[in-house]
Amino acid sequence: MSKSTEDRRVLLASQPPYLHPPYVSTQKRAPSKPLVALASSLANINGPVFGHETIQPNDGDLTGQHSGEPLGERIIVAGKVMDDDGHPVRGALMEIWQANAAGRYRHKNDNHAAPLDPNFSGCGRVLTDEEGRYSFATVKPGAYPWKNHENAWRPAHIHFSLFGAGIFSRLVTQMYFPNDPLLPFDPIFNSIPDAGARDRLVSTFDWPTTKPEHALGYRFDIILRGSNSTPMETIHP
Amino acid sequence: MKLIPTASQTVGPFFSIGLAPLFQSQPTDGTVPDGAIIVRGNVTDGDRKAIPDAVLEFWGSGGFVRVPTEENGSFHATLKLAAGASYFDVLVFMRGLLRPVYTRCYFDAMDELRKNESLTKVPTDRLTTLLAHSNGMRGQYEWNIRVQGKDETVFFEF
Repeated sequence: MSKSTEDRRVLLASQPPYLHPPYVSTQKRAPSKPLVALASSLANINGPVFGHETIQPNDGDLTGQHSGEPLGERIIVAGKVMDDDGHPVRGALMEIWQANAAGRYRHKNDNHAAPLDPNFSGCGRVLTDEEGRYSFATVKPGAYPWKNHENAWRPAHIHFSLFGAGIFSRLVTQMYFPNDPLLPFDPIFNSIPDAGARDRLVSTFDWPTTKPEHALGYRFDIILRGSNSTPMETIHP
Repeated sequence: MKLIPTASQTVGPFFSIGLAPLFQSQPTDGTVPDGAIIVRGNVTDGDRKAIPDAVLEFWGSGGFVRVPTEENGSFHATLKLAAGASYFDVLVFMRGLLRPVYTRCYFDAMDELRKNESLTKVPTDRLTTLLAHSNGMRGQYEWNIRVQGKDETVFFEF
């Protein structure tokens, strides 16, 4: 196998398929027909531009949005957003949401019998800086049961939504935590065929990101597809 | 060698916590603002059951609009087409989609779609899934999304 053939295989295996039967919700929601190629030059729709007016005070500090402090282990999550050429993605809007430290979302459909925290909403928003860097403060989310299968538990995770240079740069993903014993059993995490791509969704404990006497630090870097990228499906191994 | 883009994961069922700040606020009196069009529709699954936890993003040179589906699987969005534009690119996210699906919503005549050079690879009998249908009232359209099944919406490579 040539180097470039192997590169393409790894690239294709780096994204989950639509249908992944162990994740039961995909069974009736995955498209069943082949995706269709847009025939003429792809509309490379530019992304919406979100400025600093999009961000409210404390959007980047999920521990500081209420009169009191939320319960749980305070953490700082930081990293860099780059395109697939390694260039920083500047001014990218990042939307973040998560469960509280007890594993409960502040959402009307979350019926998990774990307590809500009156001091935690679980929603944040930040923009990347001139070097593509971002940082936010929160509490470490708890694991929670989700009924996908017998005794199913989601590993602790934070949801991320990002806008890059264009529509093909759009990314929604989840960040996980190192050494989580639930990861090998999670159908959503394991929907990604390539082990390296899965591992890159796992943040790393990071001393420089910690804040002494205050919070532990985790690093999570993100790569967005660039503005000249082609659809995944046109990458034939 | 390019860097490998970060893997996609589902938005899950509780995305409104994080994505609601950019949901389009809807006029409550049902009027169509000047120069705008309103598109309404339903999102359904392979069993034709309503999908109450999807979020749609309309991308166009006329702007960006994000709307969620309601408890009954319906959505409605107020859109402004840029001069000369006939469609919006649409991304759909939901629990059960590990990656978004990518489609288009055209405000055009069926004859024009048949001639459209971007759509030559779309099977003719599926073209209609890309077309918003006027409901007879000025500026009001219906467009449904079926993520799976016999009359599945055309999704493009993404």
